[in-house]
Amino acid sequence: MNVITGTFPMLPGASEATDLLTRQPTGERVDPAAVLGRKGLRYKDRATTLGLAAALLTLRDAELLGEDGRADPATAVVVSSNLGNLDTVCRVARTIADETTRGVSPMDTANASSNVIASEIAIRFGLRGPNLTLCNGPTSGVDAVRWASLLLRAERADRVLVLGVEPDNETVRAFTGKRRCLDGAAAMVLESAEAARERGARTRAELVSCVRSSGVSECLELLSGNVRTRPGMWLVPETDGESLPERLLTGVARTDLSATWGAASGALGVLQCVAAVGWFDSGEHGSVHAVAGSDADDASAGVVLESAKEYR
Amino acid sequence: MTVGITGLGAVAGIGADVDTVFENLRSGRGALAEMRGFDRTRYNAQRLFEIDDRPEPGVDEPRRATGFLLRAVEEALADAGIDLDDSYTGPTEVPVLVGTGLRELRSAELWWRDEAEFRAEHLHFGTALRRRLGAADTHTLSGACSASLYALALGTDLIELGETETVVVAGADVITESMFGLTDRFQQVPTDGPRPFDLDRKGAVMGEGAAAVVLRASDSVDAGPRASLRSVGINCDAHHVTAPDPDGVSESIRQAHRRAAVEASDVDMVMLHATGTPMNDKVEAESLHRVFGNSVGRPLVTGIKSMTGHTSGSAGLLGLVAAVRSLETGVVPPITGLTTPTPEAEGIRLVSERPVTESMSLAQVHAFGFGGVNAVAVLEVSHP
Repeated sequence: MNVITGTFPMLPGASEATDLLTRQPTGERVDPAAVLGRKGLRYKDRATTLGLAAALLTLRDAELLGEDGRADPATAVVVSSNLGNLDTVCRVARTIADETTRGVSPMDTANASSNVIASEIAIRFGLRGPNLTLCNGPTSGVDAVRWASLLLRAERADRVLVLGVEPDNETVRAFTGKRRCLDGAAAMVLESAEAARERGARTRAELVSCVRSSGVSECLELLSGNVRTRPGMWLVPETDGESLPERLLTGVARTDLSATWGAASGALGVLQCVAAVGWFDSGEHGSVHAVAGSDADDASAGVVLESAKEYR
Repeated sequence: MTVGITGLGAVAGIGADVDTVFENLRSGRGALAEMRGFDRTRYNAQRLFEIDDRPEPGVDEPRRATGFLLRAVEEALADAGIDLDDSYTGPTEVPVLVGTGLRELRSAELWWRDEAEFRAEHLHFGTALRRRLGAADTHTLSGACSASLYALALGTDLIELGETETVVVAGADVITESMFGLTDRFQQVPTDGPRPFDLDRKGAVMGEGAAAVVLRASDSVDAGPRASLRSVGINCDAHHVTAPDPDGVSESIRQAHRRAAVEASDVDMVMLHATGTPMNDKVEAESLHRVFGNSVGRPLVTGIKSMTGHTSGSAGLLGLVAAVRSLETGVVPPITGLTTPTPEAEGIRLVSERPVTESMSLAQVHAFGFGGVNAVAVLEVSHP
């Protein structure tokens, strides 16, 4: 059994997991420099700075950050982001056409590679475990949670920092056709129940199962097979305004985080897990189902999280 | 539990199938040619290792990486004896893991700059894999130049943990103008082609390619697989966004040996990352010395990037496919363009000029990427 021991939502108007279900976004942009300090941020792209800030606050929430600002080197990093470096790539291609390669800046080199967020997090916090970047479409955030769980079971890391992040900019809006995009990050620490118990960490939620299937109802069917009780909440996929059939988990409260916080793309799955932790933090018990990827997408992926049963 | 490799697929500038690619590698034929898809007046360098499939010179089109991926995956499935017709009936549960450095970002460039037709659903490969193969458990992992061997590590874990019996692992990349343009501006680009591990190496030259393998759970006595995948080690330097670190690289090799339960002195062949940049080759040679110690002169050591170019995230798996063919045939292709080895490579048995034939069973394959992401695979072919 793997458990969540720390979370943070880096969104305007949210400062802890419970806020994701109770608050509305303020109109402002979150400022990563307020968390990280300005030093060394100048040439990092928006997704990277959002990711670094969310990583810091999540490692701190899980009580894993040492006084030197570093964490256990045996920590893995799994980042999900579809659009993180889209603007850099498009802008550089345009500059080359306009000015030849004489016009490009060396500071864009690292940002031209899609794994820059995960590698910058590893460098800043000294995390030498496996370092994965998922760019897997609408399901990407839930998929990241699944690979984090696999890395633990394969004994490739003691714990995993899982992070979903998407920036908002002109390129992203044009590409996705969405008017309101997330411009934020959410992160969580996943570790084995034994590892958490050994270091006396507080378990915030248990990860019961991760599944993937061809559509939403197939995904829910697989999730229901893995859970003892009816879920108390269903965190639904982004559906572009299409309503999900009533027959799916009839009577279970549905929450669409993207409706509140903006189109979340690859960040959604992690955002959903953090919201589930917030739900348990506020005193709720039982299980939460989260699904990313609708029937209009290439697949759906889902997780079941349960409230912690302290040291049973 | 042994993880068997039961099917291979490959596409590169030097060939559109595994046999053609390997035949050209052993003959020392490379694919370096005048740039075909980009406007040459924008660049200092004029030559790349592209796959020659553009409709006409200077005209590029979106979704080429997806096309090469599908071709490599279909070759690997056919090689493994998996009937594609059966999987058309519905979503197959076989996971398909794709490691890529640059995914379909080239298409995004064409969309942004030239208004080419390209939709968000195709930025990752899952949509095309679902439509063509019915696959619903698909993953696009974008981990720079070690992405496909990272994907191989995860595929191995899925089988070893008993989550599935069959996994397809692939890599696919085409060149983006953004990445090529940035290297063109700020790194020395060798006009006469890359010369990995040579004293006069000047840098890497980008290439395009795709590779795929089918992994299956198998008993060790099973005569089925072409090769056994003994382990894949993965880690991160946590050191620098672009420069490699010998500590991290050495540890990834040691980790692969530990997980495979082999000693460095058991290794018969090393398929290097060997990009031809001054930094990579120095660090990689140093790391071999550190890990192999006195037995550094034992294995035959080669690389393929002087013939395929640096194919980004697909490079590791392309090297692995070549390594399987080397173990099967006993033929190790040469590093072309290598005449005077770098001083750090002293004592290493680099294969240059012409192929070497030897009976071998154990090989390791390297892939190291931007961000310090390292992956090393150990594979074995048993000869009856």
